[in-house]
Amino acid sequence: MNRDEFNKHISEQMNRNIEALFNEVLEMGGLVEQQLADLNRALESNDVELAKDAIKQDENINRGEMEIDRLCSTVLARQQPTASDLRLIVMAIRIAMDLERMGDEAVKIAKMALEQCTIGGDCTTMPAYNFLRQLMLASSQMIKTALNGFSRLDTSDVMSIYHEEERMDEVLNQAVESIKSELLVSDSADKVDLQLRMLMAVRAAERITDHALNIGESVAYLVKGQDIRNLDEEAMAKLLSQK
Amino acid sequence: MSENNVSITMDRDSRNLRLEDEKVAIEVNDWNLYYGNKQALSNVSMKLPENRVTAFIGPSGCGKSTLLRCFNRMNDLIDIVRVEGEMTLHGDDMYAKGMDVAALRRRVGMVFQKPNPFPKSIYENVCYGLRLQGIKDKRVLDESVEWALKGAGLWEEVKDRLNDNALGMSGGQQQRLCIARAIAIKPEVLLLDEPTSALDPISTLAIEELIFELKKDFTILIVTHNMQQAARVSDYTAFMYMGELIEYTDTDTLFTNPQVKRTEDYITGRYG
Repeated sequence: MNRDEFNKHISEQMNRNIEALFNEVLEMGGLVEQQLADLNRALESNDVELAKDAIKQDENINRGEMEIDRLCSTVLARQQPTASDLRLIVMAIRIAMDLERMGDEAVKIAKMALEQCTIGGDCTTMPAYNFLRQLMLASSQMIKTALNGFSRLDTSDVMSIYHEEERMDEVLNQAVESIKSELLVSDSADKVDLQLRMLMAVRAAERITDHALNIGESVAYLVKGQDIRNLDEEAMAKLLSQK
Repeated sequence: MSENNVSITMDRDSRNLRLEDEKVAIEVNDWNLYYGNKQALSNVSMKLPENRVTAFIGPSGCGKSTLLRCFNRMNDLIDIVRVEGEMTLHGDDMYAKGMDVAALRRRVGMVFQKPNPFPKSIYENVCYGLRLQGIKDKRVLDESVEWALKGAGLWEEVKDRLNDNALGMSGGQQQRLCIARAIAIKPEVLLLDEPTSALDPISTLAIEELIFELKKDFTILIVTHNMQQAARVSDYTAFMYMGELIEYTDTDTLFTNPQVKRTEDYITGRYG
């Protein structure tokens, strides 16, 4: 399947709507990528303004989701899409929802960074920061890969997203263990607060990787017409490698 | 929501439908049909499941109506038509030598695009086929008329004016009357050739709802130009193109994930 197929409807209106939908999803994805990039830099350089930008970006992301919902509703009501058109509409709604949730999770982390910076602290010296950084970098890469797959209707990287997500589950476990052991020796309420803030941040970052995998799964359904969510790894790999 | 509603599932969910698991009503093997020298159907083979709705879709001239008409030998009425292949109804060869075509048509009823009630009373329209079969007992006829009109979802609207002329009814009512007339003789299979294309959207929905109810008692085959209608009413859908059966599978799969590109192009309205 390639993008050109979606431009071959006898109805020009349908061609335009489908093209607009692809563009809206990619644009919304771009906003989330930008938000994560700002957030990564805010964490690394303790930049308050960048953390604020990341929080503010959420409004644009939410608007993107609303626009995609509107467009999809219009196509559903007016053009009764079927087959790959229908799968595109349903998956666009789902991808938009995942992107919106990613934005929300990013905001949680940005608020944590903002609090830390505001009290004059250094994010990079926070407990378990290394784990957070790993999760954040993986998130950025995974969303980029997933959106590339959507743009090119290509499922060849879905398995790598799947494996990366599994790896990030493990990173989260390590982060939680690390925070737990720090908590056990915390001797002040401030330190406990700090640990808890970090715990919420790593959880939020891991959720972003979950949503990135969801997008990969949506792309797989769009392209292959089959739901891979309940498949084991072997069956998933087999399905995705089929022409 | 009451407790009784908890287990409600989708009516037209064909997730668990598999052609291989179905009881077969009509089986078609290597079916070819020629209008003179022109071949209109090529090597069509398919098994049509019992008590299911099967829709035939495809562009004009693809052979879907021609195929439908083979199921009750309506094409016999056209001199230049020649057929090859095998077609069985519950195991009986429909084209066997000596087959009583009138008897076959009692087993395979048909409703056409345009409602065609006889210029008679509503009652006489419905019991027409029964009278042809020689049934004269008024009680039997009364019961059959009521059963058929109830089956066609028309009883409540006409029970007090059964002797009125059928031509005074609305188009939607006339079409339901034709369905009542067809089911009164209790056929095994009901053929519907574009049954709603002359009707308004509300009458169309009433007929579609009726089709869904009727499949409990009959095997229903419907030809429609309206793809959304095929998607709404059928359990299985067959896509035909230039006399060939291109793809035939459960309706959910055909409309969400067709396996043949030509099917995909047709149902999504793309240039093939």
